[in-house]
Amino acid sequence: MVNMAVFIDLNISYTADTKKLQNIIETAAHLGYSTVAINHVVDLQQKKQEIGKPKCVSELFDRLPIVQGKSRPIKVLNRLTVVVSEASHFRTTNEVKSYDIVAVFPKTEKLFHAACMSFDVDIICIAVTEKQPFYFKRPPVNGAIDRGVFFEISYVAAIKDSTLRRYTISNALSLMETCKGKNVIVSSGAEKPLELRGPYDITNLGLLFGLSEGDAKAAVSTNCRAVLLHGETRKTALGIIHTVKTQPTAERQEEEEEAVPAVKRAKRETL
Amino acid sequence: MVRYKSRYLLCELCVSDQSSLQLLDERAVFAAVRGAVSSAHGDYGSALCSASFAVKYLNAHTGVVFLRCRKSHYRVLWSALPFITSVESRGQRVPCFFNCLHIGGTIRTCQKFLIRYNTQQLHRMLRLCHSEAERLEVRKAVLSCSLKSLEKEEEAEDGYGDEEV
Repeated sequence: MVNMAVFIDLNISYTADTKKLQNIIETAAHLGYSTVAINHVVDLQQKKQEIGKPKCVSELFDRLPIVQGKSRPIKVLNRLTVVVSEASHFRTTNEVKSYDIVAVFPKTEKLFHAACMSFDVDIICIAVTEKQPFYFKRPPVNGAIDRGVFFEISYVAAIKDSTLRRYTISNALSLMETCKGKNVIVSSGAEKPLELRGPYDITNLGLLFGLSEGDAKAAVSTNCRAVLLHGETRKTALGIIHTVKTQPTAERQEEEEEAVPAVKRAKRETL
Repeated sequence: MVRYKSRYLLCELCVSDQSSLQLLDERAVFAAVRGAVSSAHGDYGSALCSASFAVKYLNAHTGVVFLRCRKSHYRVLWSALPFITSVESRGQRVPCFFNCLHIGGTIRTCQKFLIRYNTQQLHRMLRLCHSEAERLEVRKAVLSCSLKSLEKEEEAEDGYGDEEV
């Protein structure tokens, strides 16, 4: 099998059960995903939930499974999803910055607008388990597209249940009306290995969500890559300068400052 | 010369427990796919897909399935496949999912692809061998592979059983 594109699944639900998580990641590698992100969901409305430090990925495996059709091991990232029902819930703290990708799930229209226009996030989740409580308006969606923020549709609910499938498809279609297939990613949200689907199946599933063939393929490959790059820019200063902390014993000059050439810089700044 | 053009979907049934694949038969897969199409696309969708829809081949060892349908409507069938979560067979529910590997216009292209794919799977599995002796054993089993000794090699290792389909 010649995989031309690199497939990425940015939403694998975190479970404390390491064995299960390993199983899911192995299945993902078997299906041909070369990067997955483990999703930590934090709902600040409930009890005393706090944003913790991400778990170290290297503890999970001795040897990461090899991706189908490639000779490289699978890449595992950490992702944080904050469910916001009040504007105060989302703040960029150091804990948030330690995740590779940050997503928000806005509950109201006002917060959706804020998430699109001002929050420092990579992904905005779209409701799949209920009917979309508000309409997607053109200005915030366009603003998000300009800022390089992506909308996420998770397909696991559609697989589980027929009613949720209707919600997923109708919400996805109403999003597509506004954003016209741009800046959309489709991810799994799988809690079990059997809830994952192959990347080509997802591409085809995208057609049901109202994506065109090219957009559907981008939704599992290039758009996800753009999300990763967008996530990386949070750790750097506008994606231009990247600093690496060295050991305190090392000399000051060795503090690595990597300047990107002017051509690339211009490109990054448009992000 | 006009013929009806078909699409062959080469799918892999992924299960958590490999031994449960033995329970499957073609009729069970047929019923599962038809049920999924009718629940996802309704009466109209099942009518579109029912023309020349068939399960051409099922390998109960590797879980490989060939589905055939008309070229004009194969996407209707394909978009229903992700919604399958289990196949009911002989009174038992086997939780599984379909992973589409290849779409071809003829069985021949699918077969070519499958041979390549299975070779790749064998290479992936060989990495998991613990010792050199085990590896040699597998290699020996592959070399001695023929249709007559099919039963013997099933015990040795799965994953290469249908290289000579």
